[in-house]
Amino acid sequence: MLLEVQDISMVFGGLAALREVSFSLAEGEILGLIGPNGAGKTTLFNVITAFLTPTQGEVRLAGKPLTGLRTSRITERGICRTFQNIRLFDQMTVEENVMVGRHCRSRAGVWPSVLRTGAQQKEEGAIREKTRELLSLVGLTGHDRELAANLPYGLQRRLEIARALAGEPRLILLDEPVAGMNDQETAEIAALIKKILGFGITILLIEHDMSMVMKVCDRLVVLNFGEKIAEGTPQEIQSDPLVIEAYLGREEGE
Amino acid sequence: MFFEQLINGITLGSIYAIVALGYTLVFGVLDIINMAHGEIFMFGAFVGMLLISYFEAPVLLALGGAVLVTAAMGLLLERLALRPLRGKKGASHLASLISTIGVSIILENLAHHLFGAGNKPFPTSFADASFTVGSTTVYLVQVIILVIAVLLMVGLSLWLRKAKAGKALRATAENLETASLLGINTGRIIVSTVVVASAMGGIAGVLVGMAFNYVNNQMGLPMGLKGLAIIILGGMGSVNGAMAGGLILGLAETFVVAYGNSGYRDAIAFVAIIVILLIRPQGIFGQALPEAKR
Amino acid sequence: MINPYYLQIASFILINIILGLSIYITLSTGQLSLGNAGFMSIGAYTSALLTVKVGLPMVAGILAGSLLAFLIGILIGIPTLRLQGVYLAIATLGFGEVVRVLFINWESLTSGAVGIAGIPHLGRTMLAGLQERGFSSEQWGLKNNEFISLTIFIILLAITVLLLAFFSRLFASRVGRAFRAIRLDEKAAEAMGIHTTYYKILTFSMGALLAGFAGALFAHVTGYISPADFTYHRAVEILVFAVFGGSEVLWGPVFGALFLTVMPEMLRGMSEYRYFIYGTILVVMMVFRPQGVLDQPLLDRLRGRRGGGGDDAA
Ligand SMILES: Nc1ncnc2c1ncn2[C@@H]1O[C@H](COP(=O)(O)OP(=O)(O)OP(=O)(O)O)[C@@H](O)[C@H]1O
Ligand SMILES: [Mg+2]
Repeated sequence: MLLEVQDISMVFGGLAALREVSFSLAEGEILGLIGPNGAGKTTLFNVITAFLTPTQGEVRLAGKPLTGLRTSRITERGICRTFQNIRLFDQMTVEENVMVGRHCRSRAGVWPSVLRTGAQQKEEGAIREKTRELLSLVGLTGHDRELAANLPYGLQRRLEIARALAGEPRLILLDEPVAGMNDQETAEIAALIKKILGFGITILLIEHDMSMVMKVCDRLVVLNFGEKIAEGTPQEIQSDPLVIEAYLGREEGE
Repeated sequence: MFFEQLINGITLGSIYAIVALGYTLVFGVLDIINMAHGEIFMFGAFVGMLLISYFEAPVLLALGGAVLVTAAMGLLLERLALRPLRGKKGASHLASLISTIGVSIILENLAHHLFGAGNKPFPTSFADASFTVGSTTVYLVQVIILVIAVLLMVGLSLWLRKAKAGKALRATAENLETASLLGINTGRIIVSTVVVASAMGGIAGVLVGMAFNYVNNQMGLPMGLKGLAIIILGGMGSVNGAMAGGLILGLAETFVVAYGNSGYRDAIAFVAIIVILLIRPQGIFGQALPEAKR
Repeated sequence: MINPYYLQIASFILINIILGLSIYITLSTGQLSLGNAGFMSIGAYTSALLTVKVGLPMVAGILAGSLLAFLIGILIGIPTLRLQGVYLAIATLGFGEVVRVLFINWESLTSGAVGIAGIPHLGRTMLAGLQERGFSSEQWGLKNNEFISLTIFIILLAITVLLLAFFSRLFASRVGRAFRAIRLDEKAAEAMGIHTTYYKILTFSMGALLAGFAGALFAHVTGYISPADFTYHRAVEILVFAVFGGSEVLWGPVFGALFLTVMPEMLRGMSEYRYFIYGTILVVMMVFRPQGVLDQPLLDRLRGRRGGGGDDAA
């Protein structure tokens, strides 16, 4: 198993945002994490990436526990993420955003950078090359020099994916990558997700768009009020009475 | 000797606590460190000094005058240096810190031009009045300061707990956005917070003048620094922490001066900052909050 | 032709530029240090004492002063930088005051408020060294004091140019990108695998190093230092260089230090209101132009280019 989430609980003050959630992901798999608003999905991402320290439980990557590691170390081990509320470096260019994403896969420190050593120059060239590649993968070629803040919303989401991919993750966490997009844009992102899978990268996907989730995911985990209420293939989930109730019970359902 | 020092320490500590409460109120509601608070405190001291030495006003009137002037300064500070930054795109969390530093420098210079440099006497009619309890000498000034400080703290606590404004203030302190969703007029709360905090600084200024019998235009910075040290010690935004931290610092300083080296008195606050940051960064009464979600 | 008075002002401009850089580098990761006057005084006192009392050569004194400021920067930075930005501002403000109190009270070593005089002078030492080798100022058609001022200016200019080259390369690299990412969004930067604490301590201690270095140079250029040279006002002045000139581009603090050092010299009688003006600058800039006078779009326009940004000197 590439990722194992075991008995994770996260309590904020009196509110239990996650209660003993466990599941795991196999290498190369795409798992959908779904559930109504406030179910605890983003909180789980924050726990996996050490933005939050869980009240209880353990996360393991390829068998090794991540407990106590800071976010940057977890990124180095191969988990990169995007954010539900886009968190690009708005005052940097598109290109620079992706180059920053490459940070954990490059090493030049202060002196090589100032002296412009051969190794540093080579590395910097490689960073630019990789950046070009990724920008073309997500369809941002030609926007390199624009400020991230000036990109339209849909392209910002793509840029976040490119930036996460620049860290060469083994596992990528996508938090609602198609939120607010129309059908065509959604289909394009779905295709992009398939491509990413094709590179052998494992994906954990949070998404409210059910038709897309059903289409791209191998398996689903359903959270409700911080608890895992179901796990299975899209077909199994669709007919699970608990899941239906969780969504209908909240009326809007999406 | 010991009990006299104890009383000295408590008196000083209660003044520190009032200064620190000014910082804590503003930080609790606005998430801003008001770097000009020390200078507002200094202006309060000067207003009190002017009223007492030139107009021979009684202490209560001096306090009232200081409150009026410093409250008005708080109002201006909020209008000119804080409000324009609020919600402004691209303004980092440093912006308000820097603009209040600007205000503090302006005020310090203003005081220099208005009042001149050097110590100005702060004569109170009861400066030397004292009585003895057992073998301990207690000065009347100390009693007055303590009474005012305690009244002020109790009043503030009641206001925070009971009064409608206080309730709204606490809701705002919990979360500015939620408060405005609940229909609480956050703009007014913010103004009144800064005004109340500044007035408390002004009162503290008069009390310090009474305690030390002089004021000068350099007194803002060290006092401001102590207030800041106290809120780190007590926990940022915590009212109880400010009171406890103030007492701790007042006692620590008094005893170090009494039994150690007086030259390093002002260094104690800084040492306290570093120690507390190392062992309990959230402060004595602060809660370690989980990272804000995004 | 060579006017020692102008050269002296030019030298102070250069020292102020180094000081401006010292706060700029710390600000580049979104950290505000109010202790740079303290670090400056550590550099100045260390070098002054080592040269005056121990008799070390000037270069050794300057290096030791800078190094000590750097080490103390790390010590202060480690506990505070794990926390929110405001803690650093407060801790450094307190630090600066404590260092000053220490220098005032430690009379046996520092002569207290009186300060230290007779510090070996950069220009005169150079001249004396050259004279031993048979050089005299007249060979260049200069008077001794002209030669001294000119030497100081040239040395400081060379140092400043080197520092600017150093930082413009640094900011255009992976490390510089990490700095900017941290300033723009610390948490997101951490998620990119940037060890934010490491970089914050790095920039803070580099700022301390630079301030200590500038302080040591200051000691050997003026020949006399006292605690009054390193008050909180100095820290604010240093901050104003960056905030006014521009805190997001390398040329910002350079411009700020240049402009704000020349201005009071040109407008005589203004110096009385100097801090009044500094205070006003801080408030007005935060309200109307928080990034300072110079920013990347403006620089691009000045260079006659459009679009994009941050190719060099981030
Ligand atoms: N840092 C935090 N502090 C306090 N409460 C939090 C924090 N982060 C999340 N919560 C609470 O935890 C619960 C779960 O939130 P979370 O963001 O994980 O939901 P979600 O499943 O991602 O919802 P959505 O679909 O709306 O994004 C919510 O009630 C939220 O208010
Ligand atoms: Mg979410």
